[in-house]
Amino acid sequence: MEFKSEKLENGLVIIGELNKSAKSAAVGFFVKTGSRDETEQINGVSHFLEHMLFKGTEKLSALEVNEAFDRTGAQFNAFTSEENTVYYAAVLPEYLAEVTELWTQLMRPALRDEDFNIEKNVIKEEIAMYKDLPSFDVMDRCRNLHFDGHPCGNSVLGSEESIDNLTAGQMREYFARRYAPNNIVLACAGNLDWNQICSLAADSCGSWQPQTVGRKLDHSRGSKKKERVEKANLVREHICLMSSGVSAQDPRRFAASLLGTIIGDDVGSRFFWELVDKALAEAASMQFGAMDGTGAFCSYIRCGSDNVTKVLDIVSSIFNDLDRNGITEGELTKAKNKILSALVIKNELPMGRLVDLGFNWTYLQQYRAIEGDVNAIKAVTVDDVHSLIEQFRPGDFTQLSLGPARSAGQ
Amino acid sequence: MVLLGEPMEAVESVAFGFMMPAGAARLPDGCCGAGSVIADWIFRGAGDKDSRQLSDALDGLGLVRGRSVGSSHIAVGAALEAGNLAEALDLYADIILKPSLKDDRFELARQLAIDEVLSLDDDPRHKVMLKLREQFYPSPLGRNTVGNIPELKALTAQISGQIIKDKFNLSQTIFSVAGKYDFDAVCRQIERLFESEPKEGGESVTLGPRQGKYTHIDNDGAQVHIALMTGTVKPTDEDYYNARVAISVLSGGMSARLFTEVREKRGLCYAIGARYHGLKEAAGVMCYAGTTPDKAQETLDCVIGEFNRLGEGISAEEIDRAKVGLKSSLILQSESSSSRAGAIGSDHYILGRVRSLDEIKDKIEATSVDSVLAFLRNNPFRDFTVVTIGPKQVKIQ
Repeated sequence: MEFKSEKLENGLVIIGELNKSAKSAAVGFFVKTGSRDETEQINGVSHFLEHMLFKGTEKLSALEVNEAFDRTGAQFNAFTSEENTVYYAAVLPEYLAEVTELWTQLMRPALRDEDFNIEKNVIKEEIAMYKDLPSFDVMDRCRNLHFDGHPCGNSVLGSEESIDNLTAGQMREYFARRYAPNNIVLACAGNLDWNQICSLAADSCGSWQPQTVGRKLDHSRGSKKKERVEKANLVREHICLMSSGVSAQDPRRFAASLLGTIIGDDVGSRFFWELVDKALAEAASMQFGAMDGTGAFCSYIRCGSDNVTKVLDIVSSIFNDLDRNGITEGELTKAKNKILSALVIKNELPMGRLVDLGFNWTYLQQYRAIEGDVNAIKAVTVDDVHSLIEQFRPGDFTQLSLGPARSAGQ
Repeated sequence: MVLLGEPMEAVESVAFGFMMPAGAARLPDGCCGAGSVIADWIFRGAGDKDSRQLSDALDGLGLVRGRSVGSSHIAVGAALEAGNLAEALDLYADIILKPSLKDDRFELARQLAIDEVLSLDDDPRHKVMLKLREQFYPSPLGRNTVGNIPELKALTAQISGQIIKDKFNLSQTIFSVAGKYDFDAVCRQIERLFESEPKEGGESVTLGPRQGKYTHIDNDGAQVHIALMTGTVKPTDEDYYNARVAISVLSGGMSARLFTEVREKRGLCYAIGARYHGLKEAAGVMCYAGTTPDKAQETLDCVIGEFNRLGEGISAEEIDRAKVGLKSSLILQSESSSSRAGAIGSDHYILGRVRSLDEIKDKIEATSVDSVLAFLRNNPFRDFTVVTIGPKQVKIQ
């Protein structure tokens, strides 16, 4: 593996990790913008804009864009989160330049009114789709309750109302502010010709104008509110818990991930043994998510209405025990083994590698080889995890439940 | 037992899987869901280890575990760092050959399986696809792999134990491994662990009739979830690759017809797609579209219209894009040890041999506009099985 980087005069950073033995290559534009960078009036614009990039440029129609990608056999798509919008493609090495060139063009989209109006329907269908996925809906609502006014609580999709009211003009204004070259990283990984990618990026992106871009980076302690929302068509109780954690810049993020695995991995965790193994809940997981300047532990539990009280009592006792007695050396070792092998397996694919490469640069302006992460995980001690528990008290959480109407007496 | 291995030079990981012939379609009648219970139960203690000791041992090796219950098999396996393979296989031999199968553990596994069935009501998109398979395939091929409540409630530890005894037939089990490993060493270890007398088995399944043409399940959700399926050639058929290319023209990439016509031009859906779904005994094209109630009828009509239009003509560019898409996804998947281990196992079961990547590439390359259109003339996509879940029904023409 060989790491390369270059910066254009306008601030666009290009990074690459070359692996000659890979059968494929991956490329992605990492734009540091998401729902946390939106105001209430334009909520949902980052995600909507992500869709609009596929609608083409002054020279290319939407169909021509899709045909151009498909001619290369690329597996390509994009995703938007609270703080990043990522456009990516995994492709055979001989097509990498063509696909990268295409992405560079799309990063300066036409944003036509007629495309905007049709795509509005698709966005509203996507909002409707997630309403029918309570496991997603409950997390979205809980995030909003937890961050309680902090921009990290903004919904990525927006609401039907905010999307209805959004105008193409507002989107163009947002695009001009946020898609500045100094707010974007172009990353590539796998079997690739570095010089070719650089000269191509210089030719296509060199004329983009830098802007003053920023982001509010307040930490959030979380509201710790508790709410329940009823939906008549639901059958099970969906529970989301959130508590605050360290940021993506904090070296303790590895300890935080291990803590998430110890408490809430799908198998072999405390949630697993106390809730799933005993058939009190059919799903119970906890994950740590590091964000820009802040972070959160997020748990999802699904169970029958009859078991809700019991399940929540057990959750309390798991966190109380964690406060009193901490974790064991054995638990930490198991969690390390699980995280390390998942990390190694994921990074065997150029596409998996691309995501870590791009985000490390976005958050840290730093290249981290896999070995760096492996060593950082191995170095975490029981005491590191204990001091994290002491400071962040994951048992002190925001809670949102989504479930059927409760019958009398419950 | 058949042992299959595919070495991969560029990886440090290894992935393995055991496919036991105990899938949903091979279970005795009245045991729908027993596969989910069994796939859970066998991990609740095995050999000299209780449930927690076994789980700790698996986690100690850093296994990324996988298990699935399909129509034909229960598959268990994992991906891991290559150095831990031998120890992992020892543990899996215990899980398959010497599961503890305690009664109290059975009750927990069964309760979880029941809860999973109940949870499907809160996941209409998943439920509609399970229901579609049930309706489309001749019984029992499409039998619900998650289960049904009355049969799960009637299931006992004794019946489930008997199923394990009968169906975990080593003579019919397929073991596959891909990634970084020493094949001779793996073979010696598997022989030592699994050596047993050959056993008869593999009795063919008697197929019943297909179920209804249209099924609607009422649910007061935000969308109507539309699933449809039509029959096509099996993976063993000489026209298999023509079928795959035809389906790719319909729904391969984002320039394919369904995405372009239903989503891009009309804005009817966010999620829309069709894919090939093949079992050894039957196969079909499976399609999903999710849309708000007022657009449901237009969406279904538009989707079926695209299926019908396919045989009327396909351009050379469309065929080229479909072919490059199929070849490229094949190579991209070949970099993952897990997907290779799964693919060689399923090839062996369905075709009786493992195809090389070059063979697949050549067969895709050999298709043309003429061969795909000829295939569609002889095997038109028609007679759809349709299932909807949502607040509104659709009309089937």
